Amino acid sequence: MRMLVRFGKRPRLRFISHLDLQRFMQMALNRTGLPIAYSQGFNPHPLMSFASALALGWTSDYEVLDVRLSAPMGRRRCEEAMRSALPEDLPVYGVRLVDDRDPAAMAVVCASDYHVALSGEGAEAVLDAIPGFLAAEQVFAMKKTKSGEREVDIRPGALSLVPSGDGFDARLALTEKLSLKADLLARVLAERAGADCPELRVHRTALLGRDEAGELKPLMEL
Amino acid sequence: MNLSDRIEALLAQVQKPVRYMGGEFGAAMKDAGDVDVRYAFLFPDTYEVGMSHLGMRILYDALNRREDVWCERAFTPWVDMADAMRAEGVPLFTLESRTPVREFDLLGITLQYEMSYTNVLESLDLAGIPLRREERGSDDPFVICGGPCAFNPEPLAPFVDLFALGDGEEETLATVDAYKAWKRSGAPREEYLRMCAKIPGIYVPSFYDVTYNSDGTIAAVTPKPGTDAPEVVRKAMVRDLNAAVYPESLIVPYGEIVHNRIMLEIFRGCTRGCRFCQAGMIYRPVRERSRQRLMALAEKLVASTGYDEISLMSLSSGDYSCLPELAHDMVERFARKRVKISLPSQRIDAVLTDTLKETQKVRKTALTLAPEAGTQRLRDVINKGVTEEDLVRSVTDAFEQGWSAVKFYFMIGLPTETDEDVLGIAELARLVRRCYFSVPKERRAPGLRITVSASVFVPKPFTPFQWCGQLESGEVIRRQKLLRDELRTVKGVDFKYHAPDVSYIEAVFARGDRRLADVLERAWRLGCRFDGWSDQFRYDLWLQAFADCGVDPAFYGLREFGLDEVLPWDHLDAGVTKEFLRREWDKAQRGERTQDCRKGCVGCGMKRYEGACV
Repeated sequence: MRMLVRFGKRPRLRFISHLDLQRFMQMALNRTGLPIAYSQGFNPHPLMSFASALALGWTSDYEVLDVRLSAPMGRRRCEEAMRSALPEDLPVYGVRLVDDRDPAAMAVVCASDYHVALSGEGAEAVLDAIPGFLAAEQVFAMKKTKSGEREVDIRPGALSLVPSGDGFDARLALTEKLSLKADLLARVLAERAGADCPELRVHRTALLGRDEAGELKPLMEL
Repeated sequence: MNLSDRIEALLAQVQKPVRYMGGEFGAAMKDAGDVDVRYAFLFPDTYEVGMSHLGMRILYDALNRREDVWCERAFTPWVDMADAMRAEGVPLFTLESRTPVREFDLLGITLQYEMSYTNVLESLDLAGIPLRREERGSDDPFVICGGPCAFNPEPLAPFVDLFALGDGEEETLATVDAYKAWKRSGAPREEYLRMCAKIPGIYVPSFYDVTYNSDGTIAAVTPKPGTDAPEVVRKAMVRDLNAAVYPESLIVPYGEIVHNRIMLEIFRGCTRGCRFCQAGMIYRPVRERSRQRLMALAEKLVASTGYDEISLMSLSSGDYSCLPELAHDMVERFARKRVKISLPSQRIDAVLTDTLKETQKVRKTALTLAPEAGTQRLRDVINKGVTEEDLVRSVTDAFEQGWSAVKFYFMIGLPTETDEDVLGIAELARLVRRCYFSVPKERRAPGLRITVSASVFVPKPFTPFQWCGQLESGEVIRRQKLLRDELRTVKGVDFKYHAPDVSYIEAVFARGDRRLADVLERAWRLGCRFDGWSDQFRYDLWLQAFADCGVDPAFYGLREFGLDEVLPWDHLDAGVTKEFLRREWDKAQRGERTQDCRKGCVGCGMKRYEGACV
C-alpha cells in the first residue's frame, strides 16, 4: 500500500531547497511511527518520492509526497501521523491511499495550477500581454535544459492563462515531453510587452493528472 | 511593513536564507502573552555552527520546559545579512517569533571561543542594544554570558551585566527566577544584579574594582563596598547528571548543519588531566549518565526527531565506565530502527569496533587521533597519556579493520618544545606508514592517507600552562617550516597548518584583562567580525586597534606571567585550585606525569565542592 500525502509549503519555508526537503521528509517519516517501507542496502531510507519538485522561493498548497507502506494502515491514522510529524509551515491537507500497482504520483502528474502574484514595475504590462500571448500560435523563448539553452515554442505549455487578483492564474503542462515554468511564462509576457519583469511570487494551487475519461483532475481526486 | 515582511524582503538577497528562516520542526512556539519572561539565546556565530552546539540545545530545552518562560534563538547574521539589515534598518531578531532581540527581558550569550567576541559586539549593535552596560536603560535586556570563556570574562566585562560560570542548567533558571522577583519588586536595574550575585556561579563584573601596579600587572580585584558580592565567585555545578534536565526532543533543522544528529552527552568532565586542556580542568569532576538514563533518552530522541544517527558525546568518550556495554545495548536496541551509533573516533578499542561492526554501521571516515606532541618527553610535559605503543596499536588495529585514512592533531609551541620534538611529529608519521605496510596487502584497504594537522598552542586560564607566554610568531613559523620540510620526505602525508596570527589574538584575549575591552570595541568598529573564519579575519585591523588604544598585545600574549602575580581571573573559582595548577606546572617542567584521577585523587581542589567527588 502507498499513501499520497498532500501538504503545503508556506512563505516562511520557501527557501528550503528540494534536496533539503527530501532529507527532512525522510526524517519526518521516521518519526511518524507508521509502518514505512525502507530501501535495502547499506544506508536504508524510506521509499518515497515527490510528485513534482517545487522551485526554490515558491510556495504551495498542493505538494504531493508518495510513500510506500510496509503494512496496511487507515487513512485517518496516516493523516494524523503526518500532521504531527510536520511543522505548522508544512501543513498536511489530506492523505489518499493507493495500491502498490498504481503508477507513482510523479508519473501521473501532467499539469500544475499556479497563481503568480506580480508587484512593482512591469506588473501591468505583463497582464496586458496575456491576450496577445493567447492569440499567438507559437511563442518562442530561450529555455534552459539539461544540455544548455535552446529556443523552444512555449505556447503549447500554457493550457490556460487568466488575469486574477494581483497577477494571473495559469495551468501549465508538467510532463517530460512538455512543460512550462511559471516564472519563464511571466518573463516572456514581460518581454513581449517590452517591459522589465516585475517581482514574482509563484504559488502552486494544484497538481493535476488525467482521469479515465482523459480529463485533468487534481491528483488527490483521481 | 511589519518586521516579518521586512525580514522576508531581505531573505531574497542573501546567500543562505535558511539561516534566518526559523519554522523548524521542534522549535518552541508559545504565545508571548502567556509567559512572564522572554529569554533570547544568542550564539555568536552562524546558524550552522550554533545549532550544532549541545549546550545551547540543553539550555533551550531547560528554559522552554517552563510555562512561564519562552526562550528563542538568535545567531550572528553573516556579513551579507548584517550589511543588508543595517541598510534596511532591520534589527537583530529571534528565529521563533521574529521579535527584535532588544525587546527581550534577558539575553543569554554563549562564549565558546575568544575569536567570537567581536561577534558579541556585532550582535548587540545589530540588536540596537548599547554596547556598554552603563549606557543601557530600563528597556534593554540584561546581557548574560556563559560558556567556557566566561572563566576569563574580563575583556568583555564592560559589555556584560552578568557572567554565568560553570554548568548552566540550574543557574540559568535561577537568573530567570530572580528576574521575575525583581520585576515584581519594581526595584531599579542594579537591584537585579545584586540578587543575581547571590546565585551560585554568577559573577557581576560591575561589582568589582580592579587596581593595577606600576608595571601594568594587576594589584587586586576586590568587591565594591556595599555590593555584598563575594570575594571569589565559585562556578555552578550540577551534581547529578541523571537528575539533570536533558532534551527529549530537538529542533530538526532543514539544511545541513555541522553536526546533524542526536547528540547524547554520556558524561561531563574529564579525568585525564592534560595540562594544556581548559575543558579538562573547568568541567571537573567527571559525572556520568547511567546506561538506563541514556537508553531512555535515546529512545525518546529517536522517536521524537526521526534522526538515524546517535553520537555518544563527551570530552573523552572512550573513558565512559561501561562503554562496550552501552554501545552494545544501543546497537541492539536501535539497529532494527536503522539508527547508527557513532563515537567520536578518538580511541579504537577492539571490543568496541566489534560491537559496532556487528551492524556494519560504524563510519569508516578517517580515524582521528590527537597525540598533541611528537615525542614522549613532550607528551609527558603536557601529561597526554598516550604512548608510542598506544598509537601503534590504535593505528594497526584500525588498518586491520579496514581504515586507510588517519588524521593526527598536534600542537606547535608547547612549553619546553625543541626542534627534536617538532621533528618527532614527522617520525610518528613515518611510524604510521610502517604500521600500514605491516598489515598484509590483502587485509588492508588500499590508498593510505595520513593527515597531520598542527595548530599553534594557546595558553588558557585555569590550566597549568596559564602562566606561559605563547611562542612568538616568527619562531612558530620557523618550526612550521622545519616540520613541513621534514614531512615532505614522508610519502602520502598531507600537512595542515595555519598562520599564527589568529592564535596570537586568541592568546591575547584568553589571558587578557579589562583593559582589552577598548581594543575589542575598537577592532569591531574598524570592521572585525567573524574572526574565527579565515576569510573574514583581519590581522591588520587588530594590530591597528591595539596601536590606537595604546595597548601592547605582547603583554598578554607573549609574556610569562609571574607565579606570584594576581591573574585577571584569580577572583573566580573554576573548581581546580591555583595550588594544584602550580604543582602541575612544576611537574610539567620536570617532565613528570600525573595519573588519571580515576586511579586515585590528585588533589585538584574539586573536593572543596560538596558532593563533587565521591
